[in-house]
Amino acid sequence: MESPNRRLKGCRLNGASAFATAALLLVSACGPAAAPANTAPPAAPALPSIAPPPSSLVAAGSGIVKEGFPGEAKALNGAGATFPAVLYSKWFNEYEKVTGVKVNYQSIGSGGGIKSISDATIDFGATDSPMTDEQLKAAKNGPILHIPAALGAVVPTYNIPELGGQQLRFSAGSLTGIFLGQITKWNDPKIAEDNPGMTLPNKEIVTVHRSDGSGTTYIWVDYLSSVSKEWKDKAGLGTSVNWPVGLGAKGNEGVAGEVKQNPYAIGYVELIYAIQNKLGVGLVKNKAGQYIEPNLAAVTAAAAGAAKNVAPDLRVSIVNADGDASYPISGFTWLLAYQNQNDKAKGRAITRALWWATHDAQRFNAELGYAAVPDDIVRRSEELILSITTAGGQRAFPHQLPGR
Amino acid sequence: MSRPAASAPPMRAAFVQPPRPSPFNRNASSGSARSRYLVDGVMRGLIVSAAAAGVFLLLVILLYVVVRGLPALNLDFFTQRPLPYGEVGGGVAPALLGTLEMLTVASLLGVPIGIGTAIYLSEYGRGPFASIVRFVVDLIAGLPSIVVGVFVWALMVRHVVGNYNGLAGSVALAIIMIPIVTRTVEEMLRLVPDTYREAALGLGLPRWKTIMAVVLPTARAGLITGVVLSMARAGGETAPLLLTALGNQFFSADLLAPMAALPVQIYNYAVAPYDDWHTKAWGSALVLILVISLLSLATRLSTRNTLGER
Repeated sequence: MESPNRRLKGCRLNGASAFATAALLLVSACGPAAAPANTAPPAAPALPSIAPPPSSLVAAGSGIVKEGFPGEAKALNGAGATFPAVLYSKWFNEYEKVTGVKVNYQSIGSGGGIKSISDATIDFGATDSPMTDEQLKAAKNGPILHIPAALGAVVPTYNIPELGGQQLRFSAGSLTGIFLGQITKWNDPKIAEDNPGMTLPNKEIVTVHRSDGSGTTYIWVDYLSSVSKEWKDKAGLGTSVNWPVGLGAKGNEGVAGEVKQNPYAIGYVELIYAIQNKLGVGLVKNKAGQYIEPNLAAVTAAAAGAAKNVAPDLRVSIVNADGDASYPISGFTWLLAYQNQNDKAKGRAITRALWWATHDAQRFNAELGYAAVPDDIVRRSEELILSITTAGGQRAFPHQLPGR
Repeated sequence: MSRPAASAPPMRAAFVQPPRPSPFNRNASSGSARSRYLVDGVMRGLIVSAAAAGVFLLLVILLYVVVRGLPALNLDFFTQRPLPYGEVGGGVAPALLGTLEMLTVASLLGVPIGIGTAIYLSEYGRGPFASIVRFVVDLIAGLPSIVVGVFVWALMVRHVVGNYNGLAGSVALAIIMIPIVTRTVEEMLRLVPDTYREAALGLGLPRWKTIMAVVLPTARAGLITGVVLSMARAGGETAPLLLTALGNQFFSADLLAPMAALPVQIYNYAVAPYDDWHTKAWGSALVLILVISLLSLATRLSTRNTLGER
């Protein structure tokens, strides 16, 4: 058998755009019954592509955390959001190779992450929906910081056999109409308006939503609430809401499965799930009036578009952001850490891990289907990380930075 | 069955035989022999097909897990830690170790309590206190495992230890094991004939020695069955471990730190969007089945040697 540490990179096409192909081929080309690593993969099927990351994203500040540091804790434990779990497992596997610090991350859901960091039963948390002011007040060890780790897109995904490979376009009006139960047929004039020249079937729409509390739901209804007052009044905003219509399904997997099994169904999932399940993905009209295909570049554009009006604590919604290229249903996923670290060794380890995560680790985001955090936001994260103190009010981050 | 009417057609009457006396239903109205054979055949058929259906279902499940899980198995799968998506290889070794460690600690905590309770209930338990104990054991047996998890989380994760830890996982598993051990072992001890106890007491053995030297060895097979059953049940629990041991993608044998476990690993692999991880979920399920089977086999073999003939 091959060495466990041999990377998939070796059996990949050149360029990150081949990610989708590589992912599909993983089982056949790189699975345990491995074929030779340099087997040329067949042509990629027509799937929404994950665009390569903008090259400007190799952030300044990378390379500071590059080896173990004396007196830092050798193990950290974190838990929370499910959505970035795959990314974090990649990051922390790399981080162990770089520094020898074992950062254990378990995906127990955003709610579990917030609860656990509030109780201080873990060293850091993770969430897709920012903590509310009440939640912050209830935290056991004082102020909690939100450090943006990555960005994700939530996409409308549908199953209309008649459409073949054609991609549907949605506007804010048609999406809210469908999920409010006001648009019930696929050939409704509101949907047809967005899709001129497309023959839409005269079939009942089946809507599918999450049955469990979820950060994915939060981003989705955050968008619907921001574009529709009626949605905000009737269903509201949260990790689980009062759905007017539709079937419930557990997890991104569940929603993708329901949509796959029910012709004429529509649901919402994280981008990577739609791609992996080979489902139809819709384009969504943004604030500037453009129909945007969900991909990583469009998500980073949304974050950059929203960066101007970001609050200093980085608890921020970037749905329906400004900018021609912004995909409107995007959101941050955050790491959560206490500002006051009582334990000096842990404070060192956490600040160093956060610094590495917001700088060096961002290069892993794109290949796993997550958008990197834009530079403006990384600069603000730095301020937050440097504000973390340890016993005696000292700065917990042990490295010297010029001018700071 | 009603008696054949006097006006029964001759064809049918030809088969009527004098009813044989039955020790079981002398007074019950006995049908014709033909209908009795028929009923016997039908009932036997139903029972055999029920047994066959049960075994068939189990075999299908087992076969399905083997077929789906076998492609994931190789040496790395048993010796390496899980790797992130996109990297070849990796295994479930930390989860394997974690499950074994937590099961061992849970057994050390749960089995003595369970067997002790069973001995009390079968040998000493009279009166209201015994009824209360029996009621509580039944209550715990019926408790959904997630409730046990929440209880241990509130007690040991939030307060006593202050973080997620393997010991809390072991305690949760022990709580799940205790009623299973107690109920099974109590039934087995009750099957030991009273004449054995009377003989031992009559020879002048004190009561504790009667229990240790006569009652327990006689019920040995049942004792082991109870312990193995409870370990198998605890080994497959996911919900209480998610809340207590949390899980760990690195090797950690520290009982006071988060610890990996096979059911949690299966869950994590199964909810991921990647086919490769789904295969690994089936592989982990297969490993779990193997571990439980080997454990029960090992328990049976090792106790056979120490406790004499069977």
